[in-house]
Amino acid sequence: MRVMSSRPVHVRDQVFSKTSDGARDAMNRFSNKVASGWDEYASPLLYVYLLGMMAVLAGILTTAMTLQYVDGELPCPLCLLQRAAMLGVCFGIMQQLRHGYSWFNTGICLAFSVLLLIISVRQTLLDIYPRPGHAYVGSAVFGLHMPVWSVIIALCLITAIALELIIWGANKQVADKSIGLYPGLKTIAWALSFYVIAIGVVNFVSVGVQCKFNQCHTFSYQLLD
Amino acid sequence: MMFVVFAVLALALVVGWFGRRKWALILLFVFFVLAIKVFLWEIYSPEYGYRMPWIQVNNAGDEFPASTRA
Repeated sequence: MRVMSSRPVHVRDQVFSKTSDGARDAMNRFSNKVASGWDEYASPLLYVYLLGMMAVLAGILTTAMTLQYVDGELPCPLCLLQRAAMLGVCFGIMQQLRHGYSWFNTGICLAFSVLLLIISVRQTLLDIYPRPGHAYVGSAVFGLHMPVWSVIIALCLITAIALELIIWGANKQVADKSIGLYPGLKTIAWALSFYVIAIGVVNFVSVGVQCKFNQCHTFSYQLLD
Repeated sequence: MMFVVFAVLALALVVGWFGRRKWALILLFVFFVLAIKVFLWEIYSPEYGYRMPWIQVNNAGDEFPASTRA
């Protein structure tokens, strides 16, 4: 009886242990096989992927600035923080382009994507039930207000980072290949990084004009009053 | 305060551009902490605190007692 009662447990543990190790080995083998198959293209594709992410973020920030300077829609404090979080994601991408792919640099992108999600969800919840004196003041873009767009952008960023980790995370050789090996991509990365930094500096000056050292509001540029 | 947040962020971006990774990361960390502080300060209301009573549904149980529910 003792053998009968203890054996199944023992066998089950063994089976689960074997299955777990086997599955892990199989996944590692599959991952390594896939990685070795496209080693030649893995690095440039990663850089194209990162440049694509940064280009989209630069486009979103440019749109937000166009709405501000052309249409005269001053950003609210939480909108400004969302811009800052997007620039933080861009910082992480720039670090990956400059110093190579790493989990640390990817973590920077992820941290600011989560910050963006938290801020935009909170703002969406603030505006979800319009109260007198607290209604959202910005115009809708394709039927959605900017905080809602920010939620979507943050979720897309987190998904994109997850995909990046899934596709390139197991490839050890990607980190060793600098973007300097691909002159075309390096030029694009240089230009795009410069543009994003310019956006950051313009926003810094703009916040100074809009808020000075006081609390920000959306009525007027405080420095010009 | 928002001005300081963007000043630190812009500085981190510029310092990172010139290859001073360590200082850029320190500035980015400072920016991250400041951004969270400003966010918490912005959403705090003396009346409601951090709560959002206009979307709370915890009183629904009083309006619809358990005995009346299917």
